Amino acid sequence: MKTILRVARLSKSFGGISALQDIDMEAREGQIVGIIGPNGAGKTTLFNCLSSLYHPSAGQIFFGDRPIAPEFSSKKKKLVAACALVFLFLSLLWTPIFWSLFVPGALFKVETVMLGLLLLGVRFFTFRGLRRFEIWAWGLIFLFLAADICLALFLGGRPLSQDRFLGTSLPLGWVGTPWALAALPFSLFFGLQLCTAPARRLFGFKIGPDAVTRLGMARTFQNIRLFFHLSVLDNVKIGAHCTMRSGIWRSLFRTRRQRAEEEGAEQEALNLLRFVGLEQRALVLADALAYGEQRRLEIARALASRPRLLLLDEPAAGMNPQESADLIRLIRRIREKGVTVLIIEHDMKVMMNLADIIYVLDYGRMIAQGTPEQIRTDPKVIEAYLGGGVHAPA
Amino acid sequence: MSRRTRPALPPGLIMPLIFLLALLLPWIPLGPSSNYVLRVLTTAVLYMILALGLNIVPGFTGLLDLGYVGFYGIGAYTSGLLAIHYDLSFWWILPLAALNGALWGILLGAPTLRLTGDYFAIVTFGFSELVVLVIRNELWLTRGPMGLPGISPPSLLGHTLTKDWEFFYLVLFLLAVVLFVVTRLEDSRLGRAWFAIRGDEIAAQCCGINLIRYKVTAFAISASIGAMGGAFYAKWFKFIHPDMFKFWESILILCLIVFGGMGSIRGTMLGALVLIPLTEILRAVLPQELFSARYLIYGLTLVLMMRWRPAGLIPFERAQEALARRAEARIRSRRGGEQGP
Repeated sequence: MKTILRVARLSKSFGGISALQDIDMEAREGQIVGIIGPNGAGKTTLFNCLSSLYHPSAGQIFFGDRPIAPEFSSKKKKLVAACALVFLFLSLLWTPIFWSLFVPGALFKVETVMLGLLLLGVRFFTFRGLRRFEIWAWGLIFLFLAADICLALFLGGRPLSQDRFLGTSLPLGWVGTPWALAALPFSLFFGLQLCTAPARRLFGFKIGPDAVTRLGMARTFQNIRLFFHLSVLDNVKIGAHCTMRSGIWRSLFRTRRQRAEEEGAEQEALNLLRFVGLEQRALVLADALAYGEQRRLEIARALASRPRLLLLDEPAAGMNPQESADLIRLIRRIREKGVTVLIIEHDMKVMMNLADIIYVLDYGRMIAQGTPEQIRTDPKVIEAYLGGGVHAPA
Repeated sequence: MSRRTRPALPPGLIMPLIFLLALLLPWIPLGPSSNYVLRVLTTAVLYMILALGLNIVPGFTGLLDLGYVGFYGIGAYTSGLLAIHYDLSFWWILPLAALNGALWGILLGAPTLRLTGDYFAIVTFGFSELVVLVIRNELWLTRGPMGLPGISPPSLLGHTLTKDWEFFYLVLFLLAVVLFVVTRLEDSRLGRAWFAIRGDEIAAQCCGINLIRYKVTAFAISASIGAMGGAFYAKWFKFIHPDMFKFWESILILCLIVFGGMGSIRGTMLGALVLIPLTEILRAVLPQELFSARYLIYGLTLVLMMRWRPAGLIPFERAQEALARRAEARIRSRRGGEQGP
């Protein structure tokens, strides 16, 4: 079985409090992996790190073979990254600095400052925002280089006696060439640094929760987070957001492709609702559902993004024995669909019945791992749950 | 499933019928006050357009936008300046103004939509004040406090529009266009993403929705509709002045959608249709000595409304139920098609 999720030495601290410390875990394709632990053990924090709602302080998460957490594992790397950002900033600031050095007084003209800031902002935000999309970033670097070269050629070749931006008659003829020459290496070096693979490995990068979902990891929440004012069907269709493509124009003109896509999504949403047993309730608003139904709707919504890995955060919380038995069956059926399930649960009966492998967290540390039988008899687990008592949990 | 009984008419027919009735309106003989009524109604429809545009941001996406009038002003001045300097036809000006509005919407939205709640509201408020200040002070461009007179009226097929009913028809046409855009977007992937953001940002993100992208889209579309409204306003009034785009206008439009029901298209339109003519009706109804109390009554209406129907005339939930009914009809017709021969 292939490893679908690997967590390596993951830590997360909030200020001085460390919620997770050196967590190592692994989930293989088709498994149901359980995470248990007393309240405040850091289980939900772990889930939030996995789905990128939090960025871990150290360690790495691999989904398939893709790293999905910034890799600031040591102080040194952090320092390097900080220096690089400072240099990048300086390189972008170069234009106004250059003006201030070679065109006396120019820096203090409002128009110059505004233009300089605009250039600075544009470059900075494009570099920062496009780090994830390598090809775009490459394209932009070349665009900026081209702009620099053009500026050099135009300003360098032509002696301008009257400058529009400065509003004074400053000889700008010789400014362009040195400016561009000075800016070129900076743009080139740091631009490349920030968007090539080795640089990313060095500096780390951030990936948002939406991108994680697009990669194929969906989740539910401990305190139900549905879109309560929307219909049940629309909730599931929103879950299918990243399986659809149509944008503004296609939606405006209702092209054939858009209609086919909507129809497909609707059909699939209905199928999913049938899968979780809610198809009779598809057209009511989500806040009219009973508590157990809302839990199932959240699962359907998560499944709608066609995930490979499903994170369930206490799906059986607040359910009666009948409902949790249904839930166990539902989760087994989800596994049969080929989805790996990672599940946090307090209900020991559910967990022992369901999980192939269980990890136990206590005070942010992984204290035990193994099959349900091993966990049931593990003295450390018993101590964590019962404070050194004699009974095995459940 | 809905508490109300179904309307006897199929829901797809109601809007066209209302439009037809509105088209007949100029021909109802009202004597000497006919033009006055038409002008009031044109204003009401203009505010319907503006409210539909604003509704996209606080109503669909759930972000408080206090600077909507900034885009209205940008649209009006784009229209006025293009008309005066380049003598462009209205049908060119309209998309250009909308584009300019969208451009400023993106420029403002892209960096600031990362802010949440109140902070974002403050930024938008600042933006609308900035727009007014720039209009007031950049004399070379906008003539500042002297205003921009002499904007040519729009023309259609060589005929210049001058009469009140012609402008009324024009604004109804614009309303139809805007209504088409917002209803189509409401029931699409884009609209659902907005609703998701309004419902719960974290859950929306975890459903694969890129928050910034969809917020900026909402902001840009809202801004372009506002700018379209401004473009019409400039062409209709033929004179624009920075004082017309003060902060109060933003609040008024926001009141319209809160009154009508934030996030519901029909509610928004109804809100504008009730509140905008209200001051004019009060002007006619109230005796002379109580005349200046009309804004008091206006405010009182809002207070009572918030007490008895805090979600507006047609609440967001009703709008969503209507969408669900549409989905139901779709599903049923598809099933019928499958079972048929």
